[in-house]
Amino acid sequence: MFAYTVRRLLQMIPLLFAASIVIFTLLALQPGDPLDELRQQNPRITAEQLEQLRRAYGLDQPIYVRYFKWLGRALQGDFGQSRTYATPAGHFIFGERLPRTLVLSGAALTLALLVAIPVGIFSAVRQYSRADYAITFLSFVGFSMPVFFLGILLLFLFAVWLPEKLPWFPKFPVQSISDYQWSQVVNREIGFFQFIGDWAFKLTLPVLALSTIQMASWTRYMRASLLEVLNQDYIRTARAKGLGERIVLYKHALRNALIPIVTLVGLAIPGVFGGAVITETIFSYPGMGRAIFDSLIDKDYNVAMAALAFLALLTATFNLLADLMYAVVDPRIRYS
Amino acid sequence: MAAVASTSQAKPQSTWALAWRRFRKHKAAMFSLGVVIFLVLMAIFAPWIAPYEPTAQPTGDNLADYYFLGPTREHWLGTDELGRDVLSRIIYGARISLLVGFVAAFAAALLGTTLGVLAGYFSGRPLRFYAGPLARLRDGWRPWPFALWRVVSWVLLYGLLFFVASLVWTLSGDNVRALLGGSLSLNNVLSLLGLLVVWGLLLFAAVWGLFGQARLDLDIAISRFMDFMLTIPELPLLLVLSALLRDPQGAAGRWAQEVFGEAASVFIIITIIVLFGWIGTGRLIRGAVLSLREQEFTTAAQALGAGEARIMFRHLVPNALAPLIVNATLAIGGAILTEAALSFLGFGIQPPVATWGNMLNNAQEYIFTAPWLALAPGFMIFITVLSFNYLGDGLRDALDPRSRL
Repeated sequence: MFAYTVRRLLQMIPLLFAASIVIFTLLALQPGDPLDELRQQNPRITAEQLEQLRRAYGLDQPIYVRYFKWLGRALQGDFGQSRTYATPAGHFIFGERLPRTLVLSGAALTLALLVAIPVGIFSAVRQYSRADYAITFLSFVGFSMPVFFLGILLLFLFAVWLPEKLPWFPKFPVQSISDYQWSQVVNREIGFFQFIGDWAFKLTLPVLALSTIQMASWTRYMRASLLEVLNQDYIRTARAKGLGERIVLYKHALRNALIPIVTLVGLAIPGVFGGAVITETIFSYPGMGRAIFDSLIDKDYNVAMAALAFLALLTATFNLLADLMYAVVDPRIRYS
Repeated sequence: MAAVASTSQAKPQSTWALAWRRFRKHKAAMFSLGVVIFLVLMAIFAPWIAPYEPTAQPTGDNLADYYFLGPTREHWLGTDELGRDVLSRIIYGARISLLVGFVAAFAAALLGTTLGVLAGYFSGRPLRFYAGPLARLRDGWRPWPFALWRVVSWVLLYGLLFFVASLVWTLSGDNVRALLGGSLSLNNVLSLLGLLVVWGLLLFAAVWGLFGQARLDLDIAISRFMDFMLTIPELPLLLVLSALLRDPQGAAGRWAQEVFGEAASVFIIITIIVLFGWIGTGRLIRGAVLSLREQEFTTAAQALGAGEARIMFRHLVPNALAPLIVNATLAIGGAILTEAALSFLGFGIQPPVATWGNMLNNAQEYIFTAPWLALAPGFMIFITVLSFNYLGDGLRDALDPRSRL
């Protein structure tokens, strides 16, 4: 197991190296260059000044030289300067955007799990009941629902239409970001519950939109996985021994049925960090997804590179962790 | 004699007839099949069904009267911000969505199957992949493509070696020149050392390249490549690729414009969806082939002297067809969703061509003033994806009764 982990970790190095080369090259090949905007803003800028700036940004060098210079600095934690926000790109991504995205996507993932597991169990235990059919149908609807449509629908229903029709209905905000800062709580300017309450209220719609697909598909996986386990011989044995249905279900069946779910959740975690461009766009929530999207549009490649390289690292790490977790929860699996 | 006549023999039924019988029992899937057929017919006959041209804008004096109309008798689904008929745009949008869905899913299935079967079939049996110009080859099997590849691989190897040598010189050249000029510093000395070590290694590789030979396990190469593709964040990369390929000044963009004309952006979207879409199929087929190749019928085919290609594509792939079809059906829905998401973000198919995704993108601006503009395209995407998901579910039950989800 230890040797396997070390080998996989070593394999990650060339993998990440290759991934960062590809991302860097594609960004460097993007149409137009970062100086275009400058040229538009200031039409009187001379060719000489442009050439100077080009040299200052290092754009006069070939791509592979730029890549290795970037890599050398990035390994020391320096991701360069963001041109749009005039802050270090690393601080912008990891200090500002990442925490916000973790709040939104983390809440969505938690909600999805909290709903999917019990509902999936219920649906499997009552297989072919009316409730099971309803749950199966709803989960099909849930994971066929495009998040961009669901987001717009939620926004329209809960921020516009219902509050207009029903005077007592709370008007959910169109902008999902709360103005309250954690430092205000520390400084005793606002109460803790006021802080939590405001954030929870403003995040309700985006969390709902973001969690629906995962909720639906995990419900289905939970149901299928538990059904498969319930048909195994050892469950019949457990029942034949005279164990109560609760013990059979929660102690014998559920623990085995959760194994595939562990992998699914592990593979979903990098997505939590990556943010959700579409949800963040619809609900005007400035998180990671939006940061990547905007940096691509503004040609702010230091920011894009920092974010994408970080995501590649996370994805590779969680792929490995999912495989290892699989071995931990399922003793039948041995890696050599 | 009468007794013999009454024992009616069971009619022989093909696998497909049996599958169809099972499929018919899945009510939701049957209904979805109806929806899909309806959508396909709608897409094919769009010019005859659609009441207006999808890009037709009103002309005349009081134009403003035609903008943002709610549903009326003339315009069943209203008009948009330019006075265009929403229903016609929806009908024409079906063409793009379904075209992208079907073509992307089919191409991804083809690519995934080919790479998956190669990985699975040759797993644990490394193929000769490099042999230097002076290498002495013992065994006999030398098809002509290998001779060609051999020459290509020499060019690639020495080209790569030259590239690395020049790269190292570019990176360390300034420091080394400074050192030779007399400025002795740790940085300069390290640069020289690094340069010498790398050049030494390159020299060794160049000599090996003359005499050596190497074998490569296709499975390891393809599986690593799939891992690599999965490491790169998908959506940002799709955006980057889309911008890169659509650039009319770039080589790829120019080529696509010339060959496909107005359909260039459709072709580009399909290409980038396939680029990421084949991985799922590849893994599935690889897994299936790994177990199928151990079965007796494969051994029998080998004993009868069937060629490698024949075993792979006549014996192994048809046996993996059931999960492949299910996978491809679900992939159609996925491709439609990806196209819509890209168009929604403005990186997909560009206006004025109507697609459900870019209609939704437009409608987003007017969500407070004209909410019905968002309803129609969103609902169409939802219904289409739901139908393909149910269709896939029905096909799984019909073709592959043992596997559940």
